[in-house]
Amino acid sequence: MESVIDVLESKFGGKRDNKAKWDTCVVIPKEYLHNAVEFLKNDPSMQMDMLLDLAGIDYLTYPNYEGPRFAVSYAFKSMKNPGRRVRLKVLVSEADLKVPTVTDLYASANWLEREVYDQYGIVFSGHPDLRRILNHVEFVGHPLRKDYPAQKRQWLSTTDFLVPELEKRLESKGYKIVQRSKEIMPVEEEYLEGSIRE
Amino acid sequence: MSNEAEKPNFITTSLDFLVNWGRTNSLWPFPYGTACCAIEFMSTEVGRYDLSRIGSEYVRFTPRQSDVLLVAGTISYKQAPILKRMYEQMAEPRWVIAMGACASSGGFYDCYCTVPGIDHIIPVDVYIGGCPSRPEAFFEAMFDLQKKIKDESYMKQRAERVKDQLEMIKAKTEQAKAEAREFAREKTAEIKEFVAEKEQELVKKAQFWKE
Repeated sequence: MESVIDVLESKFGGKRDNKAKWDTCVVIPKEYLHNAVEFLKNDPSMQMDMLLDLAGIDYLTYPNYEGPRFAVSYAFKSMKNPGRRVRLKVLVSEADLKVPTVTDLYASANWLEREVYDQYGIVFSGHPDLRRILNHVEFVGHPLRKDYPAQKRQWLSTTDFLVPELEKRLESKGYKIVQRSKEIMPVEEEYLEGSIRE
Repeated sequence: MSNEAEKPNFITTSLDFLVNWGRTNSLWPFPYGTACCAIEFMSTEVGRYDLSRIGSEYVRFTPRQSDVLLVAGTISYKQAPILKRMYEQMAEPRWVIAMGACASSGGFYDCYCTVPGIDHIIPVDVYIGGCPSRPEAFFEAMFDLQKKIKDESYMKQRAERVKDQLEMIKAKTEQAKAEAREFAREKTAEIKEFVAEKEQELVKKAQFWKE
């Protein structure tokens, strides 16, 4: 395990998080994150081929903490070297909420990043389809942030409009939409409200 | 005369009895199960407890063929419009059972994402407590619902419905009449203007020829 930390510290400017007692956690600067993840996945000495979890953290009310408000934590596991796990952490300040995506390396990161975006408002640049995943499209704000009142409820007026997504999936499989019935024709493009397209 | 007809008499009460008897003993549930209460409903349905003893053996998975909407489980705000639409798709007569703590009051999910009781969205006839409810509690609720249905009067509801329809027809005819009147007024005004213009033109022409 020490070799992983050494390599991450020397190559990618990482720093071991001593507060994490139960696992190996390395804090990585944002600009080296993608390279570090690529290294962890592809290097023959590492072979971390499984992304276990990707979670956001809000340190707003955390006691005795100084530093950027948000953090994103990546948990990796190796299926080839049993028992080898490592956790990367990226600190995200409130002014710059952008984090590079890892969806090109791990397909499972797609929905996990969508969830972090939904609940914390952290934007993953380069994500193919960054929309809300758990909350509805008319939701305003990000509910797992500590400054969101936990009992503040928001009503949804209509069901989610899933036809564009369906059509995209059909088109990716080689089908072509020739005609759309009037009922499902979107009158306004408001169904994408609350999502980000880049 | 109309008051006499509205009063219950031998024919209407016997008809009511017949209709209620039929409805009571063939309540077809439509399970809207989102959480563990749905599992309890499954065990209510199968052999050991056997819901078909009271005539509810057909569980229909379309709202158009069922009488009882059984909401079993947590309803989130993302699901609320779906549930409402489901209820609107059901044909009359329809009843709703809120099964378990979550459907009745939101349960312990006092947070941003859970509806605090489905009675914020649709009317509920019977609530069942428990987390999740026991099959015995579900049977109790079904018996309560049967009692409620036995108290209903089909003929009275029908009379009210007919009255409502009559009022609606009257309102609509009045509206149509008013529209027609306005239309006629506009048309006559137009024709009058047209005639006046023509007259003026003729007068002008006559003056021109005179000169």
